[in-house]
Amino acid sequence: MTKYLLRRLPSAFGVLLLASFVIFLILRAVPGDPAEQLAGNDPSQEAVDAIRRNLGLDRPLLAQYGTWLADLVRGDLGTSYMIGGSVSDLLGQRLGNTLELTAGSLVFSLTLGLALGIAGVTVKNRFGQTLLSAINSVSLIVPPYVSGFLLVFVFAIAWPVLPAGGHVSVFDDPQIGFQYLLMPALVLALPSAAVLARYVKDGLQQALGEDYARTAKSLGVAPRRILWRHALPNALPPVLTVLGMQIGVLIGGAVIIEAVFAWPGLGLLAEQAVTERDYPVIQAVLLFLVAVFVVVQLLTDLAYALIDPRVRLG
Amino acid sequence: MPAVPSLDTSRRTVLRAAGAGAVLLASAGCKSAVDENTNPAGGGSSGTPKRGGTLQIGSMVDFTPALLFTQNSFSVLSRLVFNTLTAYDRNLVPQPQLAKSWQVAPDGTSVTFQLRENVRFHSGRPFTSEDVVFAINNLKEAKRSAQLRATAAVVSDFTVTSPTELTLRLAHPVSNLFDLFEFMIITDRETVEEAVTGKKLIGTGPFVFKTWTPGASLSFSRNPEYFVPERPYFDGVEVRIFPQAESLLSALRSKQIQLASGLSGRDIAPIKSDNQFAIQEFDTGGGATYVGVNVSVPPLQDKRIRQAISYAINRRRIVEQAFGGYGFASSAPWPKSSPAYSEATAKRYPYDPARAKALLAEAGATSLDLPLGFLSTAPAVGQMVQFDLEQIGIKTTLEPMEPAQFQTRLIGQTLPALWTGQHGFAQVHPSTLAVSAYPFNEAKNSSKFSDPGYTEIVQRAWRQVDPNGPVAKAAYQDLSEVLLDQQFVIDLVVLANLHATTSNLQGVAQNEFSALDLDNAYLA
Repeated sequence: MTKYLLRRLPSAFGVLLLASFVIFLILRAVPGDPAEQLAGNDPSQEAVDAIRRNLGLDRPLLAQYGTWLADLVRGDLGTSYMIGGSVSDLLGQRLGNTLELTAGSLVFSLTLGLALGIAGVTVKNRFGQTLLSAINSVSLIVPPYVSGFLLVFVFAIAWPVLPAGGHVSVFDDPQIGFQYLLMPALVLALPSAAVLARYVKDGLQQALGEDYARTAKSLGVAPRRILWRHALPNALPPVLTVLGMQIGVLIGGAVIIEAVFAWPGLGLLAEQAVTERDYPVIQAVLLFLVAVFVVVQLLTDLAYALIDPRVRLG
Repeated sequence: MPAVPSLDTSRRTVLRAAGAGAVLLASAGCKSAVDENTNPAGGGSSGTPKRGGTLQIGSMVDFTPALLFTQNSFSVLSRLVFNTLTAYDRNLVPQPQLAKSWQVAPDGTSVTFQLRENVRFHSGRPFTSEDVVFAINNLKEAKRSAQLRATAAVVSDFTVTSPTELTLRLAHPVSNLFDLFEFMIITDRETVEEAVTGKKLIGTGPFVFKTWTPGASLSFSRNPEYFVPERPYFDGVEVRIFPQAESLLSALRSKQIQLASGLSGRDIAPIKSDNQFAIQEFDTGGGATYVGVNVSVPPLQDKRIRQAISYAINRRRIVEQAFGGYGFASSAPWPKSSPAYSEATAKRYPYDPARAKALLAEAGATSLDLPLGFLSTAPAVGQMVQFDLEQIGIKTTLEPMEPAQFQTRLIGQTLPALWTGQHGFAQVHPSTLAVSAYPFNEAKNSSKFSDPGYTEIVQRAWRQVDPNGPVAKAAYQDLSEVLLDQQFVIDLVVLANLHATTSNLQGVAQNEFSALDLDNAYLA
C-alpha cells in the first residue's frame, strides 16, 4: 500500500505544479494588473509604474513565477497586495467561515430533508400533501438569492428578530453566532433539503411496502415503531449517498449566499481578489481548490487500491 | 403501489413540533443579535446632542490599506482616524484643523503655518511640524499614487521654525494649494509602512483604530484626547462591510446599521419616502458621469461631431432613470459650489437631437458606427447613451469592461472611440480637475486630446496666487469654456454624494473629498 502511495505521489505533485503554472499564466493574461488597482482613481502612469516596481511586477514572468514557487515550497503563500496581511492567515480565516456556513446548512438540510420526507409518508390528508408538495417545489426552484432577500425582509425588517447580515463566529459567541448563521444556512440548505426529502420519501415508501413492514403491521407493531425502527434505517443509505453529493452543491452555493448575507467567506474573498487583481490571493485560492481536488482524487485511488488488490499490484 | 401501514400524523405530534420550534427560537433569543446592534444611545429630545453609543456604519467596499493616500471608495472613513491641516467651508475658504493659522506670501510662493499645540497622535507622540513635512514628502512619492501629487510636488522646500511653526516654499504659486491640505491626511510618520499594510492606523482624529477583520468589519473607539473639546459624542464606530447594495439597504432598514455609505440614488428608492430614514445629500464629492471621446478615432477629431453627441444625450433622463433623481444634468463638470459653476455652462448643451443632426450633417458625418465602452458594473448610462445616439443616426456597439480592465485601458489610452465613466476632482478649485483627474490631464489624457491653448489655460488657472480672486475666476471661466467647446470629455450628470441614515442620526458632515466628519454626530 505504501508503495502504491509512493507511486501515485509524483503524479499528484506534477498536477499541482502544472496547475500552479497555468494559474499563474492565466492571471497575467487577463487585462488589468494589481498596480493599476492600487493606484486608485484617476492615477498617473508614473504612479502605476512606481507601484509595479515596488511589487516586483516589472520583473520577467518566469522570475516572478520562480519566486512564488520558492515561497510556496517554504509554506509562504505571500502577502495580499490589497489587504496587506498574510495570505495563509486570510485563507485560513475565510475558509473557516465558509465551512461554518456549509456545516450549518448541512445540519439544516439533513434535518429539514428528513422532516419533510417523513411527513411526506405520514401526512395523509389532501391539504397536508399539497402543502408539503408546495414547500418542496418552492424550496427547490426559488433561487437562494431570492429566498435570501425574502427571509431578510420578513425576519430582519418586517419582524426584526434576526440580523440582516454579517458574521459572528458560533465558536466565539454561540448564541449570537447562531443567530447570524440561521438565515444564510437555512437559505443555502433549502434546495438540498428538498432533494433529500424526495429521496427520504421514496425510500420510506419503498421500505414500508416491504414484507417485513407488512408483517410487523399484521403482528400489531405500532406504526411509529415500524417507521422509526424498521423503515427509516433501510431508507437512509441512498439518502446518505445523495447527501454526500449535496455537500459539493452547498459549498458552491455558499459563494452566492456569502454575498447576500455579507458573510466573509472564501467566495467573497475570491470575488474581491479577482476584481482587484490581487494575484497572491487568487493564486492561493485557486491552487488550494486544485489541491483539495488532487487530495480527494488521491484518497479515492487509495480506497480503490485498498478494496481491489489488482489496482495496487497492477 | 404497495400497501403502506397507516402512519397518520397526530395533532399531538404537530403541537410537539411547534413547541420544539418555539423553544429553539426562544433559546436563540436569550441574547439577541438584533438588540446588540440596536444602538442604546438616542431617545433624547430631537436636536439635543446625546453622548455615548456606537455608531454602526455599513459600507459596500472594504478598507484597502494600500490606497490610504489616494482618494478611493473607502476614503469616506479616513477622517475618523486622521485630520487634515485645514478644512474647507462651503465656500471653499480654508478653516483651521491641525493648523490654527497661516499666512500666504503676497507672491504666492510660500505659506507659513502655525500648528495647534498639545495635539497628540493616538500613540501618545506629540504632533509637530516634522509631521507636516513628512506628510507632504510622502505624497510626493509616486508609489503613494495621491491624486494631488502634482500639487505636493510644487512644495520645494521647508523651513521648520519650531515644533508648531513651519514655512513651505513653492516652486510657483498654485491656486489649489489648500485643496492639497484638504486632501492630505496627517499620519504618524513612525508607523506609515504599517499603515499601508493595515496593521496600524495612527492619526490624531476623533476615533482610534482598534481592529480590522478583512471583508467583515472595522472598529474604532473614541479618542479621549481629541483636540476638539467634548468631541466626539459617540463612544465608538463600527463599520461593517456589505458588498451588495440590497444587503446594505436591508441592514439599514432593519436598523442593524444607522448609516449606509455607497448606495446610489436608485438603490435607496425603497426608503425615499419612509420617515424612519433620512437621505443626506451632499453636492460635492460624488463626481460626475461623462462620455469620453477618443479624439484619435476618425472622424471624432472633428469637434462638431463631439458637440453633436453632447446635444444628442438626454441628460435629465439619465438623472431620473440611472441615478434615481439625485444629482443634476450638466454639460460642465462643476458642482454648484464650485467657483467655475454657472447655470449657463451647466445648460450649454440642452437635449436637442435636431441640432445634433444638423451638426453631424455640417461635419459630413454619415452612417457612423462606433464602439461604446462602459463599466460592466454600471451599464445603465452606457445603454441610455446608445439609445440617444441611435436617434441621431450614430450606431454604437456596446463594449462592456470590468473595472480592472477599464482602469488599464483608461491609463493606457486604449479606450474605444466612446466610453462612459465617472470622474472626480471638480468639487474643489477647478485647476485640480485639470492637473489631478486623468481624463482631463492636459499633459496626457485618455482622450488623447492635446492642444496648446488648453495647456495654456490649465497652467494659467493652476498658477494663480489668489484662488478666489478675479484673475483666477476669469481663468476658471476660460477653462470651463475650453472644455465645453472641445468636448473631449462630455459631462452628463454631476452626481450627488448620498448617505442613507436612520432619521435620528444627526450632525454628520463630510469634507470636499467625501471623508465622513463625525465630530458632531450623535443619535437624537
